[in-house]
Amino acid sequence: MSTTLSAVRRDSSSTPRPVESVAGTTMQLVAGAMIALGAIAFVIALLRDDAATAWEAYLVNLLFFLGVAQGAVVASASFYLTQAKWGGSTPYRLGEAFAPFLWVGFFLFFGLYFGRAAIFPWVKHPIAQKAAWLNIPFLFARDGIGLGVMALASRAFIRISRRNDARAWTVATDDIELPPHSIRVIAPLLGVLYAVVYTLIAFDLVMSLAPVWRSTLFGWFFFAGAFWSALATMALTAVLLRKRLGANNLFTNPVVMHDFGKLVFAFSVFWVYLLFAQYIVIWYGDLPVETFFIVQRVHHMPWSPLSVACVVLIWAIPFCVLMSVRAKQTPSVLGSVAALGLVGMWLERYVLVVPSLSLDAIPFGPTQFLITIGFLGAFLISAVPGLNRVAQAATSGEPAGDLVE
Amino acid sequence: MSTIAIISAFADDTDCAHAIHALRDAQIRDLNTFAPIPSHRIEHALGRSRSPTRWFSLTGGISGVLTGLAVTIGTTYEWRLNAGGKPLVSWPPFIIICFELMVLLGGIFGFTAFFLFSGLPATVAASGYDRRFGEDRFGLVVRCDEADAARIESILKESNAEAVVREEDTPR
Repeated sequence: MSTTLSAVRRDSSSTPRPVESVAGTTMQLVAGAMIALGAIAFVIALLRDDAATAWEAYLVNLLFFLGVAQGAVVASASFYLTQAKWGGSTPYRLGEAFAPFLWVGFFLFFGLYFGRAAIFPWVKHPIAQKAAWLNIPFLFARDGIGLGVMALASRAFIRISRRNDARAWTVATDDIELPPHSIRVIAPLLGVLYAVVYTLIAFDLVMSLAPVWRSTLFGWFFFAGAFWSALATMALTAVLLRKRLGANNLFTNPVVMHDFGKLVFAFSVFWVYLLFAQYIVIWYGDLPVETFFIVQRVHHMPWSPLSVACVVLIWAIPFCVLMSVRAKQTPSVLGSVAALGLVGMWLERYVLVVPSLSLDAIPFGPTQFLITIGFLGAFLISAVPGLNRVAQAATSGEPAGDLVE
Repeated sequence: MSTIAIISAFADDTDCAHAIHALRDAQIRDLNTFAPIPSHRIEHALGRSRSPTRWFSLTGGISGVLTGLAVTIGTTYEWRLNAGGKPLVSWPPFIIICFELMVLLGGIFGFTAFFLFSGLPATVAASGYDRRFGEDRFGLVVRCDEADAARIESILKESNAEAVVREEDTPR
């Protein structure tokens, strides 16, 4: 491990070769093909009268990828709030890389309008007491405004964050100045907005699918999970870019990989904490109106193995594997844990949404797989310019934080 | 036999760590440092093995979990009260007791071990200590033979030591 002072000095004396671009035409073509596959599968499913299956996959993927894109921008904002200088400007660019998908997600959200009958049980069977909240025009208005505000606020934040004064602050390792004033205004605002809007999204697009169920902590659980999936995506991206960016890029520094590993480890524990905090209250209260949601997922086949798999992939594996410093610093280990965690988080969104609509069978098949591929394509194609900025930052040879453990 | 103590002060922990590296490269091992703030740089340069404190924390943590299990399961069997038709031994609430006792005993064991291994409470300042080392300077004390002193002093000065003072060694 080259964490001793002399080794770090030796490393930093050789600067990386600047890389302008890591993602280009090939990635765009592949992602475009993925989008086409997803769209074709979606249309075929609708034509074959299999709308429910298609819309379930649409909703699950919208929630997952929108959560990753938004969580990553919030991660960048939280780096300013915690005055993070451990990786220079690169972690900020990494968090902002997926932001264009926020607009894609914003427009795809309105697509749900056409699937409303298949998705929201209360459209066919309205609940009189909740009609003032659970009605289509109000739901699309409030969530649409929420997502629009988030996308605008994220764009404003990223513009400020990419300015020279903000970048200079992230690489100024020898002073204790606060970040620029405009960042200090917009970063906390973005964090608060995220908590509010994504609680709303969790209540409206997940909890309302089981319209009699309620859990006040659910929103928090939902956006903390999305935030973690963003951190795992950032760690995985760092691991994947490490080899491609040539010698001495920022991601080859074990101290930086250690920091990514710490973030993945910590927020995985936070996720399971929120899961248990909800579970214990529902378990104690033992009210049928609350317990059925858990029973359907934990004690009902075929869902119970999937629920266990979520906890294993999101918490047990990261917790046990990433406990040691060396594991966090080993890119293959960190990358594998992050990738498995992302599969787990996708599965978690699936287990939250689908049992409410299809209790006795898992409708996952070619249709849902291809729709997932399509969303992944849209996510990747949105990330192309951002990933190039990450590459430029990671190979700029700029000074970064305290590089000694 | 060490007879001389060379006390040097540094304005910067990087310089201090650099000096420690240089001294260790020159096979000089009897080093003691003073720092106004914790510094990972100096810690790494000294290359000390990890403190055994963590094993005490682990032992405390495991004892806490076992105590938690004993208390919760034991009292449940002692006073068999069926609440809401749930199984007598129900895991969800026991997890909380076990977790809290793990933190408590792990903390107490770790804290005790920390005091034990760091030689606290220390009523007399270690030899070579200077008030500045509690304010804004990093101190490095090297114990050596008279014959090595000149060589060590030149290494220290090369590493930007601000003041290098030679003293008769007093036992630690």
